[in-house]
Amino acid sequence: METIIEILQEIQPDLDCTREDLIDGHLLDSLAILSLVAELEDAFDLMIPAVEITPDNFNSVKRMKAMVDRLLEEE
Amino acid sequence: MESYFTVMFAFFFLPVTMLVYQLFPVKKRWVVLLVASLIFFWSISGGLILFVILSGFMIHYFGLWMENIDLQCSSHKEAQKKKRSVLVFAICVHIGILVLCKYTGFLLGNINSLFVWLNIPILIQVPKIGLPIGISFYSLQAVSYCVDVYRQKIKADHNPLRLLLFLVFFPTIMEGPICRYEQTAYSLWEGKSISYGSLTFGTQRILWGVFKKLVIADRLNPMVNELFTNYQNYSGGMVCIAMVTYTLQLYMDFSGTMDVVIGTAEIFGVHLPENFRQPFFSKSIAEFWQRWHITLGTWFKDYVFYPVSMSKMAKKITRKTKKKLGYYYAPLVAGSIALFAVWICNGLWHGSGWHFIFFGLYHFFFILMGNLMLPLLRKYHLQFNHGFLRYLAMIRTTILVCIGELIFRADGLRIALAMIKKMFVDFQFESLNAQMLSTLHIDMQDILLVCVSVLIVFVISVCKEKNVQIRKKVASGPIVLRWTLYYTLIFAVILFGAYGTGYVPVDPMYASY
Repeated sequence: METIIEILQEIQPDLDCTREDLIDGHLLDSLAILSLVAELEDAFDLMIPAVEITPDNFNSVKRMKAMVDRLLEEE
Repeated sequence: MESYFTVMFAFFFLPVTMLVYQLFPVKKRWVVLLVASLIFFWSISGGLILFVILSGFMIHYFGLWMENIDLQCSSHKEAQKKKRSVLVFAICVHIGILVLCKYTGFLLGNINSLFVWLNIPILIQVPKIGLPIGISFYSLQAVSYCVDVYRQKIKADHNPLRLLLFLVFFPTIMEGPICRYEQTAYSLWEGKSISYGSLTFGTQRILWGVFKKLVIADRLNPMVNELFTNYQNYSGGMVCIAMVTYTLQLYMDFSGTMDVVIGTAEIFGVHLPENFRQPFFSKSIAEFWQRWHITLGTWFKDYVFYPVSMSKMAKKITRKTKKKLGYYYAPLVAGSIALFAVWICNGLWHGSGWHFIFFGLYHFFFILMGNLMLPLLRKYHLQFNHGFLRYLAMIRTTILVCIGELIFRADGLRIALAMIKKMFVDFQFESLNAQMLSTLHIDMQDILLVCVSVLIVFVISVCKEKNVQIRKKVASGPIVLRWTLYYTLIFAVILFGAYGTGYVPVDPMYASY
């Protein structure tokens, strides 16, 4: 989880990572998501397909971690 | 029956559908909705109903085909590869039919112009192809269904008639909203009973939509038509009035129709996604398109922007440019390519003409500029989120949107540019005397009525922006207050609606897409 928080703070330093509405609350826009996906793929050595870009997976750090864990397991 | 704003729809079609629906067994109520939807479609587009029926059966078949591939293939990778071919075929068929119906004239017209320019003595006859109602809407729904089955987000539906209902549901067929199968389909088949709550809430929403369309939008139509058709006869100031008035008309017409659509669906217990969220409170063009025609924007985001920007090639570009451009600008390269694709498609979706393409590129330019400027604005704390700067940003965005809508409405790119030039070069106003008002097909009473009505809409919008649940507050208020408000709205529509003698009925503006 710390890795994800570090990545988010690099991409958007003023982002409140404790929020649980990062997508629904329009705190992370489409471009931030692109950057985030690229960094998560590099950090965890996995592929994140476009279908995973949903509020369910990106609304909070906890959900991002759950998505990463699931994708790692599937690989 | 040309639209939801006809006597036939309001006093015959809808009440009869509701009655038959309520009398049917719960499990068969979706059949009533399907039959009603097919009747509604046929009443507007006649024999072109075959297009949507074909579409329904095709996506049913493509969905089952992909499901079979998943069952037969031993590996996920092999299945995805085979399914991709089916998906590409499905998308080509649906977009191909859309292009054939909507863009043949534009494409052949441009080819003929090219031949003339090259002195080639060939003239291709442009065939007349009928445009089924809602083809731009249900085609996108069909494509989203196929993509979601491919992505295993949803399971293929084994009932072609239920899928057909998802495409042709009569409240959504004319102007959307563009629904997703996983969000909307099940509520179509649930067969919820029409309750006192669903009936009153739905009717209130319909009434509100009728107020916006008939009292405001349709009242402005003759003046907008006159100013856009004969802009050469007016000053730049009047062209500016035309621009603002048209934007107002478009918003009231489209959002009003959405209120009617969502209210109608609500009566049957079907919850549709919202298409508007107080768009003129936006502080940027990017934010505007998150608040205006929301379902179209999210469709393009999920099915064009992310697939393009997250393709292998795009990710490669992002990784390669990260060291030189940093975390923010690196993904902007691939993101901008994807955004360009989105806005070309968005412009073309709205119509077949060079000014529609220009309309799309106009918005692409401002969104791109916004993205390029954002780090600089963040650095100097100029993000227009608070106080005076916030209102300044809203005004700036509204002006840019209005200019975009002028391009959208004008009868071609040349005329749009001529009108914009006139606004800057000849910015003065004619005297709004009785003769001028008569030429503009409007009088002082109309102006006063529109101003008061727009003020009411504005107050409601401010409440909604502050998350005040107006309908719930009214519903829980004293019965006298509730019914006073309802009757005020009903009589406002009856007395002040732009219909009847002296008025030309105005079809919902997005119904031609």
